[in-house]
Amino acid sequence: MAAAISQTGAAQTSAYDIPELFRMRPVVVDALETDSSAMQQDTIEECLPFLLGEEDLGPRNNHGIPLLDKQRHLNFLRKQLGPLPGAFMAADPSRPWFFYWCLAAMTLLGEDVAFYRNKLVETVRPMQNATGGFAGGQGQMSHLATTYATILSLALVGGEAAYDVVDRKSMWHWLGSLKQPDGGFQMAIGGEEDVRGAYCASVIISLLNIPLDLPAESPARAAGHSGFFSGLGDWIGQCQTYEGGISAKPSVEAHGAYAFCALGCLSIIDSPHRSIPRHLDLPRLISWLSSRQYAPEGGFSGRTNKLVDGCYSHWVGGCWPLIEASISGPQEGFAAEAVTPATEAGSLFSRNGLIRYILCCCQDLSKRGGMRDKPSKNSDAYHSCYVLSGLSSAQHKWTMKSARLDATVLGSDEWVVTPYLEGQQIFSEDDRLATTHPVYVIPQHKADGIRDYFANKAGF
Amino acid sequence: MPPKKVPQKTGKLDPVWAKPEDLKKPETVGERTQQRINLSTPYHGKDLNDLTADELKIYSHTNLIKPISEGKISLSVKAEREFWKVVNKEKLPIRHVRDNYDWGKDKNGKDIASYTIEELNQRKVKQARYRALSLFSRQFVHLRDQAKRQGAELAETQIEDERKRRREMAALKKDLYGELTAKLVQDPVYDDIIPIPMEEPENALARIAYPDFYAEAISYLRAVMVAEEYTPRCLRITEHVISMNPAHYTVWLYRFKIIQVLDLPIPDEIEWLNEVALNNLKNYQIWHHRQLLLDYYYPKIADDEDAVKKLAKSEIDFVNQILAEDTKNYHVWSYRQDIVAKLGIWTVAELGSTQNMIEDDVRNNSAWSHRFYLVFSDPSQSTKDASPTEHDPKVPESIIERELKYTRDKILLSPQNQSSWNYLRGVLRKAGRGMSTEEGFASQFAECLGEEGEKVTSSHALEMLADASVETGDAEKATLCFTRLAKTWDPIREGYWQYRISQLKEQ
Repeated sequence: MAAAISQTGAAQTSAYDIPELFRMRPVVVDALETDSSAMQQDTIEECLPFLLGEEDLGPRNNHGIPLLDKQRHLNFLRKQLGPLPGAFMAADPSRPWFFYWCLAAMTLLGEDVAFYRNKLVETVRPMQNATGGFAGGQGQMSHLATTYATILSLALVGGEAAYDVVDRKSMWHWLGSLKQPDGGFQMAIGGEEDVRGAYCASVIISLLNIPLDLPAESPARAAGHSGFFSGLGDWIGQCQTYEGGISAKPSVEAHGAYAFCALGCLSIIDSPHRSIPRHLDLPRLISWLSSRQYAPEGGFSGRTNKLVDGCYSHWVGGCWPLIEASISGPQEGFAAEAVTPATEAGSLFSRNGLIRYILCCCQDLSKRGGMRDKPSKNSDAYHSCYVLSGLSSAQHKWTMKSARLDATVLGSDEWVVTPYLEGQQIFSEDDRLATTHPVYVIPQHKADGIRDYFANKAGF
Repeated sequence: MPPKKVPQKTGKLDPVWAKPEDLKKPETVGERTQQRINLSTPYHGKDLNDLTADELKIYSHTNLIKPISEGKISLSVKAEREFWKVVNKEKLPIRHVRDNYDWGKDKNGKDIASYTIEELNQRKVKQARYRALSLFSRQFVHLRDQAKRQGAELAETQIEDERKRRREMAALKKDLYGELTAKLVQDPVYDDIIPIPMEEPENALARIAYPDFYAEAISYLRAVMVAEEYTPRCLRITEHVISMNPAHYTVWLYRFKIIQVLDLPIPDEIEWLNEVALNNLKNYQIWHHRQLLLDYYYPKIADDEDAVKKLAKSEIDFVNQILAEDTKNYHVWSYRQDIVAKLGIWTVAELGSTQNMIEDDVRNNSAWSHRFYLVFSDPSQSTKDASPTEHDPKVPESIIERELKYTRDKILLSPQNQSSWNYLRGVLRKAGRGMSTEEGFASQFAECLGEEGEKVTSSHALEMLADASVETGDAEKATLCFTRLAKTWDPIREGYWQYRISQLKEQ
């Protein structure tokens, strides 16, 4: 039946069964042209040949979807972890991100990254400062982003040797010095305060089982805060904008990356069905998130009137499991066999649209490999990680099976993942990726591994 | 093969080696060397059958010089005396020039053998100059250490001379060998810093082969940071690092500390920063640094109204300059909001400047966001810290009407522009008004819904009509709008529209 539809797409008749939505230019378009609309138009024209099967992307299935070239992408990622030329100088302060992006992406592609354990441990050890936290490199200042990336990388390779690198006591002191009187977190001492800080700090605190009490010297104590999460939800609430999305800090423009950080943070400080509606206008947020998806591209954009970019497959795409959990609450009766959609309509976004965009437009199928923003951009480790995370999220369904009793029990909601099997599956089953936790963005058993290890430790 | 060379002048010796003054003046270094090789190895490589008896004698005597002088061939005293007599008489070459002598290549890969003699001489002069300068430089270090031991310091002129010397040495090294001298070692001011190089395991993950310049700068930076030194020379190190890698967040935070400790003039720093920002549009550390500078500087001038106004103007001017290049730069707009609040730029000019950007591109959502901030966070006409998603009764009705009119005008210009529709919703929320108050306006963009001749020129209008119907409890109309969005006018969001329909049923 669907095959018949493709016959009607007069000008673009092809051998593939591609819904009209992903073949045709948008039906509602303004006559007035501005820089933004011209760029949007260019992007559509850039993506269409990839979506329609006109670009040679190797064999495609009858839905017009090429295969995920796992080996090619794995090769790219291995190279990104290997010795890098001087041109990567600018990455000097962000090397731990490379560890996380590559290890997380490789894990999604089914690779066991425990092989990297010793190398990682030896590499990150000198990046830890005696005053707590991990820096971007030796002799640099500790930073929440690089600490977050380091902790997740250690969790990914797993094992006591990796976990034991972390000095949790100094980490506790350092995190305390980042907590601000307004409830948020600075990225580094003297650094900027934004939603990334709130998310990174809460992930670190949760995975390392850091005591929730603020150290005595924390600047936030002066404002009456006694715990790390005190005032944090309210601070995030201030970051919701008139558009419904979330900005980096109060009063700036709504941006997809901060939406995920905000929801991730709220899902750590309490169960999402309580904390998200408590601190955010959920209906406006859902509407804004939903309007990030464009057709015919199928991918997500990060802001209103900006272009699709593969990385928002995660930043926006990764919001949906948390949104669904906050709408539906815990699904106590949930059984993996009986797959019931969270809402009657199934998904809140077009999974197949996103999968199309990722497999057709985001793969670099040249010798280089790796995933990218859009066809005109070069692949990199960052996009590889977040495009693949978004793909995994679109291919699976995460359900919050049971929630903690109240906010004082840190992060003990139970999540269950099943392959998403509703509707038509347009990708090859071999291309279904490994799963990644909707809050921690590493596989669930990896998150459990590090959390259990530290939960069982008495004291620091 | 060239024809056999018949010895022309019998009895006379071949000029190839006979008298250097008879030889053609060599043009290149390589030619001269070849001549010297020939001179030191007469008739070498020639067919011995072609040589005259005299020539053969010279050939064999020359070849015997080395083994005989080294005692490898022992001759009778008489024979040896006879041998040296001939050597002496014929002025045979005692020293041998290696016939595989390699002059090497210069920095451009040019064979030095192809230099003219004059060029080689010039090169030698430069090499000698470099050696002499090195001696003076070593002497400088010696004198300075000596002075230090006596608790004294060298005169600034001596230090300046040394600085010049090292620059000249670096230039010579580059000129002669193409070798770049790292920058900081060229300045004696840094001599007492013991750099802390990065020590990483050989197999470290994502190990970067840092260019020498960068590796040097970073190792000096580490050294001064560990020593907690906050001096002008450290400021120069930070500038040097930033010029190579502005994403290095640590160096910015350290730089700000230096500025505080030395109490440096902030306007100078801002002027320097402008240049850096223009060269690095996508960098955000620059904008955080700028914000720190403003936070630090503002209290110092807060009482001087003119100074604050002047600063506000120069900051906005600069921000506009950057936004002209990169109209949606997130960090720049974010900084703009910071300075509006800090310097109190709730002005008509600021609103006008933002409006200009909306006029240029009505889809510039960053400009719309800034407008929303300017209008609804202005302390004179809004409740302090009111949430952007909440009704604010303090906003005057006239402002609400002005904003609604402005937005409607922009929507009419470009109905499918989500920025203006989102803005419209934002204004209604601030005003505490329902979506249904704009139903009349929105319906012009969605005609004959669900009927023959249905025409929708804005899916956002249709969404607003749906929300208005939800508000007024008209589930039927809402369902129609959502269904039309799902099926035809915005089908990529079908899942969301279906969810909205399902919510209607729950109510």
